[in-house]
Parts: sequence; structure tokens; C-alpha cells
Amino acid sequence: MNGGPEGTLIVGYGNALRGDDGMGWHAVQRLSEDRRLSGAQVLWRHQLTPELADDLSRASLAVLIDIDVELEAGAVSVRRLDSAPDTGSAWSHHIEPASLVSLAHELYGATPAVFVVSVGAGSLEVGDRLSPAVERALPEVVDAVVAIVAGHGARASDL
Amino acid sequence: MSREIVIDPVTRIEGHSKITIQLDDRGEVADAHFHVAQFRGFERITQGRPVHEMPAIMSRICGICPVSHLVASAKAVDDILAVEPPPTGADLRRVINLGQIVQSNALSFFHLSAPDLLFGFDADPAKRNIIGLARENPGLARDGIALRKWGQQIIEWLGGKRIHPTWIVPGGVSQPLTAEVRDRILAGVPEAIAAVERAIAWYKTDMVRWEEEAATFGNFRSAFMGLVDRNGNVDHYDGWLRVIDADGKFLADRVDPHGFNDFIGEAVEPWSYLKSTYWKAMGYPDGMYRVGPLARVNVSERMGTPRADEELDKFRWRVGRVAGSSFHYHYARLIDTLHCIEKIDQLLRGPDILSTHVRSRAEVNRLEGIGVSEAPRGTLMHHYKVDDDGIVQWANLIIATGHNNMAMNRAVLQVARNHVKGDRLEEPMLNRVEAVIRCYDPCLSCSTHALGEMALRIQLLAPDGAVLDDLAR
Repeated sequence: MNGGPEGTLIVGYGNALRGDDGMGWHAVQRLSEDRRLSGAQVLWRHQLTPELADDLSRASLAVLIDIDVELEAGAVSVRRLDSAPDTGSAWSHHIEPASLVSLAHELYGATPAVFVVSVGAGSLEVGDRLSPAVERALPEVVDAVVAIVAGHGARASDL
Repeated sequence: MSREIVIDPVTRIEGHSKITIQLDDRGEVADAHFHVAQFRGFERITQGRPVHEMPAIMSRICGICPVSHLVASAKAVDDILAVEPPPTGADLRRVINLGQIVQSNALSFFHLSAPDLLFGFDADPAKRNIIGLARENPGLARDGIALRKWGQQIIEWLGGKRIHPTWIVPGGVSQPLTAEVRDRILAGVPEAIAAVERAIAWYKTDMVRWEEEAATFGNFRSAFMGLVDRNGNVDHYDGWLRVIDADGKFLADRVDPHGFNDFIGEAVEPWSYLKSTYWKAMGYPDGMYRVGPLARVNVSERMGTPRADEELDKFRWRVGRVAGSSFHYHYARLIDTLHCIEKIDQLLRGPDILSTHVRSRAEVNRLEGIGVSEAPRGTLMHHYKVDDDGIVQWANLIIATGHNNMAMNRAVLQVARNHVKGDRLEEPMLNRVEAVIRCYDPCLSCSTHALGEMALRIQLLAPDGAVLDDLAR
């Protein structure tokens, strides 16, 4: 967790005891050991909370990793978030990534590039294991994050 | 024709609940109930588990205050082992418990309640949330985030993780404190104090705006209970139970918490899974009492730290020696937070805080144990019975929200009587009924909590169940 003011912030989130909802936790285990991302600040959280706005404000690039019940099981999606202020939900247990970006901007004047990497959920039943489809998708998640960091032109290992 | 109003769910609290308001034939409020509709069953789940596992299991009750359950559970197991943690182990438990209270109090005041206070209770819910707070008063929002983050960091640095740490163990803590972690925590103290003092200054300046709410938000006579130390000052970890009445007269003092069953009864109502506790000497339901930040400042002689004591004097000058309005929980919560920060600073500067002797070890020496401490929302009690092999046979928990159950119901009734007019459902009533519950910051043993608007529905029902009016947002 060595990120700096101009570093890369990677946050995997979800409940590690609810099947595929824990994908963020599993992804973070791999990402934190990936030498291509050495120097990035890699966090796991149960949920996105307002406190992360402070971490976000210190980053030039942020990647948020979560499960998505709308996608096909195991499908990986990457999208860049607009920096436009969000006016949506302000629930803490499913605070929208856009709300977090908005908070970081409103409170700290920060405008980092923010990407969301999502994987379609297969099962959200109680348990600490991923469904086969999501398990198979993990390498793709790692590659997607590495590609985002490389593409941003700020390789975490150079920071 | 009598009617019933249902507010389901209540927003910006920890857990799931609803409120019903019963109208009589004249359309006046006859009664009100705060229903807790979720069931957890930890007291049954733990039967058959080895008692050493209890702290780790019990911390899973809640994602907001797991440390509080860890502390009370570990103390109950200490009792069963007949073991005292070494002084440094006890002090380190105190530090992490105080860090828990700081972060939880910050969540309650800054994230959950400040939007109501800043925008007013009738402001558009789309604005009356943490995002709106950030836009309107970013300094206040930043202070809330900084305070909560600092409290969470204390838990993470000491306990290894922010939620459900397992560092607190029977007999003490599993690892000693390092100088590096101590210094890291201490480095954050000045800014934490500055943040909460700015919030107190803001609150005091704006207090006049909420005089009407303070007069009608659960403003009633009740007893108060909390832990105090040998000097009668607030104690969040240990000490004796003190109970005062609405005039400040002692109903009980220097009560050994191990004997709480002699004084506290538990009643069950068919409309809620949350038990109602009461002061036995006064019977049920007359024995209503309150716990939490307001109770702590009411029952204590002093907070016991200089800055918090200075603010306590001002608090008492403004609202009286025994504050009766539930609205003053907000003010008391800030003073409580200030004290916790000062106390963390004191404890970490203790000469033996880096001692490596932090845990005592023993086997089962008693078949029954009780652990009592102050959680963010009030006094928390864990009571276990085991067999000769240390296998849990029975467990009973009394959480702060249970202590406050009757008071919350009374508060809802009072607000409803003041704000329910006629047979129509109006937003101002809805906003205030929810807000008075939020004063108590009830934790319904759930790891989720709202920071803003959520789907909300109120129904006006005829005695036969027919919906007469329906309000949703």
C-alpha cells in the first residue's frame, strides 16, 4: 500500500463470504502480488464508503473492481467513468463509483481517471468460493487492470 | 375509524426496521411502534462452540461495531477463565475500543445526521445526504471523513483489519503494540481533535435553529445508565454501572456489572425481534432507561479529559445537568468523541504501553461469565454459560439498541403526536419520525447502512387492512 499523490489506486470490493460478490477480494489477492503493478496502492473493502474519496483524491488513476449482476456470468467489462458530478444514490453499502468520484471532486478538487472493471456474477450464495465462470475470469480481470495502468501512461512500477 | 400508518423501511440507520403509527377514531395518534423486523439468532448459533471461539464469532454480529462485540465477548470469556488481562493488554483493548467509538460516532454524526442538521428536516431528500453535505459544507464533510478514517485506521493498525479483527483474545490481545504503530496513531491526534472541535463549534452556533426539534424530539423523563470509573467519570471499557433518574438522583451506583441480571429485566413484545430491557425495580414498562452518548454524559461526574470536560461544562450550561431530549444525543456524541480521542492519546503515552506482556492464559475455571463495556451506542452486555469442557451451553446478549428500545418507541410516539395532522401522510412527519430514531443511532446488527435516500413507503391502513393512503419516495 505504497501509493503516492500521483499513484495508482486499485480497489476490489464486495463480501468475500457471499460467493461471487467476493470477486473483488480474490482479484486483489492476485493484483497485490503482480509485479507489473508493484507500487500501486491495492485495497480490498467490503463496500465503497466516503472515506475512499480521500484515497481517490491522492491518485491520478483509480481502478474499481466489482461483481455485476447485470452481466453474463464470467463476462468481463471495462468502462471509464465520466468526471461529471453524480447526483445518484448515496447509500454506503452500494455507493455508486460515480458518487465516490463526485465526492473526491467536491471535497478535494481531485479528478483522477477512474475505470470500473466488472465481472458478471454466477452465484451470490453464502460461501467463500467463486463460481467456475467467475474463477475462470480472474486472469482476464488481472490483465484488464494491468492494461489500464499501462495505457494510462503511468506505470505503477515507475512511480 | 382507527387507522395505522406504516413507515417501512426507516432510512439511515444500521439495519432493517419499520414504524407503525396507530390513529384512533378521532384521527389522533394513539400509539406508535418501532419494529425491528430482522432476526439474527447468534445466541443460538453459538451453542456448542468452544468458548475460546466466542470473541471471533461474536464480532461477526456487526460490520459497524465488531470491536465492541469483541471487547464484551472477550471480557465474558476472561470471566469464565477467571483471568485478568495484563494492564497493557487491557489498555490496548481500551485503545481499539475507543477507536471504534470514534469512527462509529463520526459515521452517525457526520454522514447520517449532519445532512438533516445542515439542510433542515424538510429539505429535499435528494440533497439531504452525504453528497449534498459535501457540496454545501465540504469542510464538515472532510472532517467527518478524516475522523472516521482515523478511527478505522486505529482498528486496522492494531487489529490487522478494519472489520472483524481478531486481535482481541481471551486474556488480553494477541500481539503487543509497536512504537511505529503507536507513533502513527499519535500523529493523527491533533487533527482528529481539531476536526471534532470544529464540528462542536458549528453545532453550537447552529443549535438555535433546532430549538423546536430539541423540544419535541423524544423529550421526556427517563432514567439513564452507563459505566463509570472509580471517580464517577465516564469509562468506556470497565468500571461500575450507574443509573440515574430524570432528576439526576442515583437509582443505583457502583453496581458490579457481573450482577446486572439482578437489576435489568428483559421483555419481549410480539411486534418486534428486539427485546425491551427495563430497570427491574421500576417494573415494565415504567423502568425505561436510556444508554449511549447522552446517557454517558448524563450519568458521569466528568468525562475525565480536559477538552471534553470543557465542552461538558458548556453542554450542561446549555441543556441542563440531565439532558432529557433525544435530540441532544448529537451534541453528546461529539463530546463523547472528543473524550475518546483525548483518552487514546493518554493511553498511548503511558509508560508501559509497549510492554510485550499483553496476554494472560488459562483454561476454563468458571461455568459462567459476563462481559460488559460501552459500545458506541451504549452499554453492551455478553453473558455465557459453558460446560466443564468449555463448550457454550447458553448465551444472552443485551445490546445498546435493546436498552434504548422503549425510549425509541416513546420518542416516535411523541414526534408522531406533534407532527401527524389529520388523516393525510405528510413528509414533515415522516422526516421527523425517522430523524428521532436516528438520534439513537440504532444498530440492528447489520453491516449495511444508508447514507441518504432509499425507497421509503408509508401506508395508512384501515382496521380491516385496506390501504387508505400510500406515500412513497
